[in-house]
Amino acid sequence: MPRSKRFSSALNRRELLLPYLLVAPALVVLLALSIYPLVYSITISLQQETTTGVVWSLVHFKRLASDGFFRTAMVHTLVYAVAALTCEVLLGLGLALLLNQQIRGRGLFRASLLVPMMLPTVVVGVVWRLLLNPNFGAINGTLKRIGINTESLTWTASPRLAFLAVIAVDVWQWTPFVFLVLLAGLQAIPQEPYEAALIDGSSRWQTFRHVTLPLLKPAILIVLLLRTMDLLRVFDQIFILTEGGPGFATEMISLYIYRTAFRFFDFGYAAAMSFVLLAVTNVVSVVYLKVLQDER
Amino acid sequence: MRDRRKGILRTRLLAQAGVLLLALVAALAPVYWMLTISLKTEVDQFAIPPKWFSFTPTLQHYTDAFVTRSFGQYLLTSAIVAVVSTLFALVIGTLAAYALTRFRLPYHLDRKLSLWILSTRMFPAIVTAVPLFLMMRDLRLLNTKASLIVVYTAFNLPFVVWMMRGFFAEVPRDLEEAALVDGDSRLGALFRVVLPLVAPGLAATAVFCLIVSWNEFLFALVLTQTDAAMTLPVGIAGRVTQYEIKWGVMSAAGVVAMMPILIFALAMQRYLVRGLSLGAVKG
Repeated sequence: MPRSKRFSSALNRRELLLPYLLVAPALVVLLALSIYPLVYSITISLQQETTTGVVWSLVHFKRLASDGFFRTAMVHTLVYAVAALTCEVLLGLGLALLLNQQIRGRGLFRASLLVPMMLPTVVVGVVWRLLLNPNFGAINGTLKRIGINTESLTWTASPRLAFLAVIAVDVWQWTPFVFLVLLAGLQAIPQEPYEAALIDGSSRWQTFRHVTLPLLKPAILIVLLLRTMDLLRVFDQIFILTEGGPGFATEMISLYIYRTAFRFFDFGYAAAMSFVLLAVTNVVSVVYLKVLQDER
Repeated sequence: MRDRRKGILRTRLLAQAGVLLLALVAALAPVYWMLTISLKTEVDQFAIPPKWFSFTPTLQHYTDAFVTRSFGQYLLTSAIVAVVSTLFALVIGTLAAYALTRFRLPYHLDRKLSLWILSTRMFPAIVTAVPLFLMMRDLRLLNTKASLIVVYTAFNLPFVVWMMRGFFAEVPRDLEEAALVDGDSRLGALFRVVLPLVAPGLAATAVFCLIVSWNEFLFALVLTQTDAAMTLPVGIAGRVTQYEIKWGVMSAAGVVAMMPILIFALAMQRYLVRGLSLGAVKG
């Protein structure tokens, strides 16, 4: 009897330790490759190399306040994110509402829409460089064919058009995702509230405004959260498509940080800037999550 | 009245068909254009008006990219890095996810740990890219596959944990408890009872990790700059930003880079929305 008791308590202890043993490898990996780099980054952002060695200083963070390029890149990023997000949600929502029913060939349609969003971002950049090339690109070629003068449409060579182009690229790639999530959200809405609205004699707009939209809100918020995070840190497509140019016209914050670190080798300042980006994305995600939690 | 309603219905159907068609063309035409460029001679590439259908295809750019130039090697590197990092992330992440769904830890530690793991995925890549470059430089791991494998494992881990948490939560506890009563150990129950049940979810998660690692660009750009170590996206980017651009070679490499991804993505359509939203939306 005592032996079996000791045996079962040993078993229990093993049972108690097991979850920690199972989680430990994941924690070690994340501590080493997510948290330690962050600490490393904080350290270098607070250090300055002088002739006498490395000293602690706030010089990198002070520089942020007076760096016009940093401010411009920040503004570009925010404008870009808001513009792309607006287009994607409006287009995605419209498509989802229109196609929220059994349609012939829906599987094929969905599969085709997957293509842009699964594409490697580098390939997206290549695709759009080919399309937008002023000399042989398909866009100007097609416009010319239907009789439009394309001389001024130099796309990536014109600051204004280049900015529109990088927004369009993201809208092209990610509207399908917004559409798919919102469609999933729409299809999860039960029929009863619609029947009630029908009995009350609500107009289609009223039904949309007071039934569909509130019930779809969680899905919309998740889409907004995920897309905002991605848009604020955009790098790949723009690096390929315009490299932030012409001049500084499409320079986003991630590109500016990259250039500072890997072209000018000013790692401390790059780290300082990356914390501003981290802070902005954190604030945005906390706000979204707060709204989402209140919703539930 | 009935005629009018029929009319409205027909207009709606027509509008739907029109929008569907437009969306299809908008989604696919740009990719198709790249495909044609990869198959055209240089004369046809620069033709005005653009040739969408009528051109004589050539495979010259593909041999040029993958035989004459080093794209074959980049392809191999991409494949190795993606497969190995996915395996690591799956093993480590699945065990953690199992522990976090099946055990109640004190102080709500299970919930807190899950959220903390998820939060590491929210860092913008450039924030960790700068210190990771310096760390790998200090460890003399720049321009190695190992550096990318390690980084991608950590990058995919939060994703695996969250996806698998969702799939584990859908397995009824009774099944495991029955196995435990029958004398199985916890891990025995996990491997013999639970894992077979979540196998489709595990496969979907694996495919997702493969896609993410295969597509990843910024870390690869920062950590690998030599022909022997760079991945396909970095190789393509290197050609794009050169002064004289070989459009055919670049497009051929782009087509090859997207092929495995498209096949994988189509194979796991069902889980796609769920995966892209970190399990937040069960599409």
